[in-house]
Amino acid sequence: MSSSAINIRRFAGTAFSFLILAAIIALFFAYHRRPAVLHLPRFSVSARQLPYYAFCSFYRMLAAYVLALIFSIVYGLGAARGRVWERVMIPIIDIAQSVPVVGFFPAAVYFFVSISHGGRLGVELAAIFLIFTSQAWNMALGVYESARTIPGDSLEVFQAFGASGWLKLKRLLLPACVPKLVYNSILSWVAGWYFLIACEIITVGPAHYRLPGLGSYLMEAADRGRSGEIVAGLLTLLAIIVAMDFMVWQPLSVWADKFRYEFAASSPDSEAPETVAIVGALYQIGPTILRGFRLILAPPAAVLRALRERIPPLRMRDYSSLWRGLRLVRIGLVLIALVLLAWAIVDGAVALVRALAQPWPAEARMIPLATLASIARLVVAYAISLAWIIPCTLAASSSARLRQRLASIAEIVGSVPATALFPLIVVFVIEVTGGMNLASILLILTGMQWYLLFNLLAGVSQIPEDLKEAARSFGLGRLATWRKLVLPAVTPSLITGSITAWGGGWNALILSEYFVYRSHTYQVLGLGALLDVATYQTGNSVMILLSLLSMIAVVIVLNRLVWRRLYDLAVERYRLDY
Amino acid sequence: MPLLELTHISKHYPHAKGSLRVIEDISFSVNEGEFVAIVGPSGCGKSTLLRIINGIVPLSSGQVLYRGRQVDGINLECALVFQSFALMPWLTVDDNIEMPLEALGIPPAERRRRASLYIDKVGLDGFEEAYPRELSGGMKQRVGLARALAVEPKVLLMDEPFSALDALTAISLREETLDIWQAPDSPVHTILLVTHIIEEAIELADRVLVISAGPGRLLADLRIELPRPRDRRSDGFNAFTDKVFSLIEERS
Repeated sequence: MSSSAINIRRFAGTAFSFLILAAIIALFFAYHRRPAVLHLPRFSVSARQLPYYAFCSFYRMLAAYVLALIFSIVYGLGAARGRVWERVMIPIIDIAQSVPVVGFFPAAVYFFVSISHGGRLGVELAAIFLIFTSQAWNMALGVYESARTIPGDSLEVFQAFGASGWLKLKRLLLPACVPKLVYNSILSWVAGWYFLIACEIITVGPAHYRLPGLGSYLMEAADRGRSGEIVAGLLTLLAIIVAMDFMVWQPLSVWADKFRYEFAASSPDSEAPETVAIVGALYQIGPTILRGFRLILAPPAAVLRALRERIPPLRMRDYSSLWRGLRLVRIGLVLIALVLLAWAIVDGAVALVRALAQPWPAEARMIPLATLASIARLVVAYAISLAWIIPCTLAASSSARLRQRLASIAEIVGSVPATALFPLIVVFVIEVTGGMNLASILLILTGMQWYLLFNLLAGVSQIPEDLKEAARSFGLGRLATWRKLVLPAVTPSLITGSITAWGGGWNALILSEYFVYRSHTYQVLGLGALLDVATYQTGNSVMILLSLLSMIAVVIVLNRLVWRRLYDLAVERYRLDY
Repeated sequence: MPLLELTHISKHYPHAKGSLRVIEDISFSVNEGEFVAIVGPSGCGKSTLLRIINGIVPLSSGQVLYRGRQVDGINLECALVFQSFALMPWLTVDDNIEMPLEALGIPPAERRRRASLYIDKVGLDGFEEAYPRELSGGMKQRVGLARALAVEPKVLLMDEPFSALDALTAISLREETLDIWQAPDSPVHTILLVTHIIEEAIELADRVLVISAGPGRLLADLRIELPRPRDRRSDGFNAFTDKVFSLIEERS
């Protein structure tokens, strides 16, 4: 293939991405009609309200997660169906991943509030939708990847025995997705908490709305200087996260291991290392609960099965006309949906163009400089992350126990949304150094480093045992092993982790460069700050659009020019299978 | 004095429900110049035995004496050849072979000399700058062999070296191994080969140690008194094969 052909492909791909992006934004501007009218309730910061607030936050996360789960299964399996589907659907997710979540905020609020005619329901839906956007994309990609990497043999079995449709879904496709779904669900919840806390306070122009929940509780408590309440709120959040880890994610991960496509004999390494007795006992809670569930659900499941066996199977041939009719209906529905979508896009595109045709505000001139400032901040935060994470990775490469401990600590600490601590961090740093730049870099750091750490730890755990044995058996010292084995082997994970980390960093910009605390606005020169100022202070929709578009453009360009290339290089040189 | 002496070696791994005994009280010795094969079914601990001799796996009880003395840590005079080749995918053939030499502190000029010498000896002349993924299975194992030979060890420890290769490649590599063992200018004259293929053991070795299924115990130490080159179709050969087979069968 000549290089010019490849470049045309690349260009077409990028152009396509921008088109999709414009479509998504246009969709929202299609509903940028009525200004929102929000009713403000009073907000109590007494600790007695904590369980209620915790419950509110939790149910919001759960609702968003369920939506994300359904979406990711449908979308991921759909994209895996064939090349055409893949060509269209995966770039969409690629873009969606790059769009900073909070960029959707004003649009989401307008959309949902105008549907619900003002009031709390609209804002709740907006928050749930926002959390959904921070959770769904990586899960959908996980489903897609799992479906694509099902071994050809397994697919052939189903073809050969004429099994398809529901049976194939139940026995082949869904089980294959389980490991990646569980892993990505854990990541999604982490991301969700991070943004939920920030999303519970919505400011749209003059309207200032607080959803009852842990995020707004912490923010209010910090605002009023009630340190006791802050601690109580943080402990509640931590309790929820730890409880979820023990009761949901641990048993799920164990269960998901069953679905792995691994044929190598498991080494002693993969057994859970011996832990302190109490912790060991706690780890049993999860599987016990799972067993309990199975016991409870067994009788009704048995009844359902018996019933199903009684019903005679439907033979398609007997109802061929009915099936044809149903297929036509399905085609019709899809066509109607596509027409509605197209109308919305066109409508929105018109509104978009009309909005952009308005005179650009003076602040727009600051965009290039602000972009550079933001990129500089991201680079510094990235460098700081690498500075502490790479030594940890190297240390973890020689000891499975350390790796396990690091992973557990990282899971818990990384799950606690740093956004809950933002008020404290900002105040502390500013009081100590007087500079918001350092504070914003630290805040960005919290949104970047965990992705890097998780990916690197995963990469370290995948270093083949025989390579480690070879290095040891030939007397390679620690430094030589790090240089010749560990660092090259984790390079692909480093790149993947960096891509995700930078994605998290871009998202964190919006929360880190502009901060309102105790009616004092802290901000620095940056793209995130420009977007926030436009959203929360001036309400200038043109400025919002321009900053959003600039951010997305920079992200896409960086992804294609830098990260894609690095990733291809890394996979080419450092791939482990040979 | 024997080159290697193992007395009452046992190995067990701690397990959730007690301990997993992999090797149970194995004792034998290896003299310089011998080709010893260790045969047994899968999971009998024979690979673990090799790793204990090399030192990357610590033993639970017993003693390994090399030249009459206990070795702390890794025994750098016993080089391992791996079943899965264990080559670093991002290093060229040359770099892979030089890697242990660098660890030994050998200066660059000498490293290069040895690398070329042993690449030549295994017949991979011209492939110095190739990457492992560009090589076939047999060539990869030749690199593994060259890497082990380059450190000029006293004992070559081979862990099922031909199991990952197709039958025809395995045949030629077996012959090459014998050539290396018998060549007067070869650096190593003592080989310990682990395999689950009985015919391979009898074809190559002077002595065959038969290990039972897990936990591995030494069932027999047979001296193969057959003329070289060994004829697979001779009666003597078949007698030995039957003997080893029945020994393993009895204990399973």
